[in-house]
Amino acid sequence: MQDMAGNELGEAEAKLVDVYRELHRVLEMHGDELPPFALRNGTKALAALWQVMNGLDMDPGQLYDLGA
Amino acid sequence: MGESPYWNPRHETMPRTELEALQVRKLRNLVDWADASVPWQSKRLRDAGVTADSINGLDDLRRIPFLTRDEWMDAQLEDPPFGAILAAPPDRAVRYHMTSGTTGKTPIRVLDSMKDWEWIAEMWCYGLWGFGVRPADTLFVAFGYSKFIGFWGLHYAGEKLGCLVLPGGAMTTDQRVREIVEMGATVVASTPTYALRMAQEARSLGIDLAGSAVERVILSGEPAGSIPATKALIEEQWGAKAGDTAGMTELGTIMIFECAEQPGGTHVIEDHYIEEVVDPVTDEPVPYGEMGERVVTSFGRGFIPVLRYRTRDFVVRIPGSSCSCGRTFDIYEGGIRGRVDDMKLVRGTNVYPRAVEALIREHAEVDEFQIRLYTADGIRDEIEVLIEVPDADVDTDALCAELSKQLADAHESLRFDVRSVELGSLPRFELKAKRVSDERIVIGTEGERRSM
Repeated sequence: MQDMAGNELGEAEAKLVDVYRELHRVLEMHGDELPPFALRNGTKALAALWQVMNGLDMDPGQLYDLGA
Repeated sequence: MGESPYWNPRHETMPRTELEALQVRKLRNLVDWADASVPWQSKRLRDAGVTADSINGLDDLRRIPFLTRDEWMDAQLEDPPFGAILAAPPDRAVRYHMTSGTTGKTPIRVLDSMKDWEWIAEMWCYGLWGFGVRPADTLFVAFGYSKFIGFWGLHYAGEKLGCLVLPGGAMTTDQRVREIVEMGATVVASTPTYALRMAQEARSLGIDLAGSAVERVILSGEPAGSIPATKALIEEQWGAKAGDTAGMTELGTIMIFECAEQPGGTHVIEDHYIEEVVDPVTDEPVPYGEMGERVVTSFGRGFIPVLRYRTRDFVVRIPGSSCSCGRTFDIYEGGIRGRVDDMKLVRGTNVYPRAVEALIREHAEVDEFQIRLYTADGIRDEIEVLIEVPDADVDTDALCAELSKQLADAHESLRFDVRSVELGSLPRFELKAKRVSDERIVIGTEGERRSM
């Protein structure tokens, strides 16, 4: 997996990117199926993982549509 | 992997060419976001012929119009309470803050989402980690926790780092000093003025602050954090290293921090901001080593995109390579040097409060001071400096004479009347100090009169 500049990410970094993308997908596709505690904690985790994506130069975009 | 001295090692040590390429990519994204989400910004960009696709290098930044505080305030007044500056609906926000209003103008109101608020703490993490704060630290935050954004981001950064964070709101100064010592705080966050105030309080309480567990003092909120004499005084009185930072409500957080190497300045967090330094009159960029006005573009807070904001802060930019820490982020030598609006014209001579403070703080006998400007005989500008000297053994007449001479020497022989006043008669400050009182009825070079 590469960042926006074409640099290869480390294995652990790439796994965090996968986690972010999966969490993003779950909240986007299934957020309305989640109980409040799961949705809000998931959203908060996404806001934190966004910082990882941004710090890895992975162009994470914005999260306002997901409430983050 | 060993512990890194950098919060984000890859970005903080990135070669300048790669860093600039990253900034260009982020600038393109920011322009795209602002254009698509904020009609007010979109019009400004389109009127200037700027689209995301037209951003090919950092030089293209200069095609984007400056954003001034007045424009921001006008937008707020036209469409209260926030103005047409928001890129997302207000109901997506989780925080509301406003400027401290120290300039006497309408406060700027800002909103942050959950992600933006995390980013605000993230910027403070660069500063805390870079100055040596670690999870084992106990961090005392001497701050009022109000709508003023101040140290809010630092508080959450401390939590993010894993520190034990002690919120020091709603406490008297003596309560704060006692808690710092009793709880074994290793890091204290405060304005420079209040750090000195707490040290003074500790002395009166008979507490040996220099012998406490405090190892680092994180300073913010005033230029004094990078005035060598003020900083040396803080370090001596606390027996700790003092590190400067600076931020602004318009960004939500800090944009510069001093690293553990203490290079005499503050690194710009350049993977999250583009900072330009321009001549405040001609708007042209100034080279390394020359003083100019900061203009900031922020990639962080998406809720309120900030493109080329005129900060009115004076800075002197030098290459990051002048610091031994290994960061490639450029440095503001001497931190924030003052504000364009701070300068006072007294009988034709420019007087900067920071320069006056730098001289006064060379004299450790002075505990507190105030600069007062007034009109004598209805026509003449006068400037006086009032000082408090707690040690009864000090020859205050000699001290005042010495200070008068030093201030005059530094200001084209301008006459400064330095007077010692009663101990405790001058105001003390918890946040930003207001040590300049301009009571002149005739102001400026045009002879305009203040309304009475």
